[in-house]
Amino acid sequence: MIEVRDLHKSFGPLAVLKGINLSLAHGKVLVIIGPSGSGKTTLLRCLNLLEIPDTGSLGIGGQRVEFAAGGGVPAKAVRALRLKTGMVFQSFHLFPHMTALQNVMEGPVTVQKRSRTEAALLGRELLGKVGLAGKEDAYPHQLSGGQQQRVAIARAMATSPEVLLFDEPTSALDPELVGEVLKVIRQLAAEGMTMVIVTHEMKFAADVADQLVLMDGGVILEQGPPEQVFDHSAHPRVRQFLNRLGGEE
Amino acid sequence: MMDERKLQILQDSLLPLLQAGLAYTLPLALLSFVLGLLLAVATALVRISSWYIPQQIARFYVWVIRGTPLLVQLFIIFYGLPAAGVVLDPFIAALIGFTLSVGAYSSEIVRAAILSIPKGQWEAAYSLGMTRSQALRRIVLPQAARVSVPPLSNSFISLIKDTSLAAGITYVEMFRTAQQITAVTYEPLLLYSEAAAVYLLFCSVLSVLQHLLERRFDRYSAA
Repeated sequence: MIEVRDLHKSFGPLAVLKGINLSLAHGKVLVIIGPSGSGKTTLLRCLNLLEIPDTGSLGIGGQRVEFAAGGGVPAKAVRALRLKTGMVFQSFHLFPHMTALQNVMEGPVTVQKRSRTEAALLGRELLGKVGLAGKEDAYPHQLSGGQQQRVAIARAMATSPEVLLFDEPTSALDPELVGEVLKVIRQLAAEGMTMVIVTHEMKFAADVADQLVLMDGGVILEQGPPEQVFDHSAHPRVRQFLNRLGGEE
Repeated sequence: MMDERKLQILQDSLLPLLQAGLAYTLPLALLSFVLGLLLAVATALVRISSWYIPQQIARFYVWVIRGTPLLVQLFIIFYGLPAAGVVLDPFIAALIGFTLSVGAYSSEIVRAAILSIPKGQWEAAYSLGMTRSQALRRIVLPQAARVSVPPLSNSFISLIKDTSLAAGITYVEMFRTAQQITAVTYEPLLLYSEAAAVYLLFCSVLSVLQHLLERRFDRYSAA
């Protein structure tokens, strides 16, 4: 489903990703953890080409793109790959001039040219799925952070992507609203949605991940099933990171 | 003291002034504002694009129009161009002058409004698979429009008043009408004050309309 090979990305002189290799099978959940500045958000943003990697290759659902230094990526290839993914942002980025339903309909109508009737039907279904039936006509500013993030999840799913990408989906939320968003993500995992999640919620990560990736300094320190990474990693840097987290809680 | 003759003049000139305002000042202002806005959006889009040559042309245009007096521009168009073989009707000359002026000043408003929309909005649009023009049309411009309502309303109100400059190129709008009445009544204080009052009335009505427009947009913005 997802195949990342030797991905490199620098911002000016700063190397943020230094050769990332990943693969994820259909229906699996990959969770990326690591200290801030470790490159995990950049990696996620590379997966839908909001950042264009410098070198390496990326394949999602049969769509492959190769990156070479100095060579651009054709806009068509970028959009084709983006259609395979749906993105959920840390601070939601809902369209404030549209209602919840219109937000969800936007992708199907504008990008996929589906009829408004069909898109509205799909939109209502998705809003129901994330527990927001009845909020179709609310504007984003009338919703709580947790509700906004759930609309954003419905919006990301509306174009039927093969993979959902989550960039710290609960980091901008008040603590009491985190649960409702995590619940939706768990439910999607249970339904077999392929997902890549960047998060700081360690317990959630351990629960939901089929595969856990720990990044630091632009490289993957450790990857595997969560119990292996959490409990048995021999890498001193991994222990250090996990201990520090433990100390905070 | 206001004598009866002066009152009579005031009364007799009100209708011609209002007529000139409604039939000549407002249409000139409205038409040049609409055309100017189209020009402004086009100029703003070129300036935020990555096309080098059109960008330089747009910058040059804004630089020249903003850096020279509007009255001088109107004189060049109306009195100057005939020397180059281009003879324009006063209305057309005024329309061109005001459209160019609105286009240049408002392009900066539109550009700033577009740049004020958070980057996350573009990214959310792109992540749905939108092209740049889809993201602009569906996501960014509608929000930029909301941001631009107050400054653009200001521009329009300024424009209403600036149309009095067209009197200088023989376009008989409200101010020129006041001048003509003054020429026969010899009451400049009276007539120009009366014209000023009618401009004030027009601009006040527009302020109310601006307020209503902003309220309409407020549906989706918090507080």
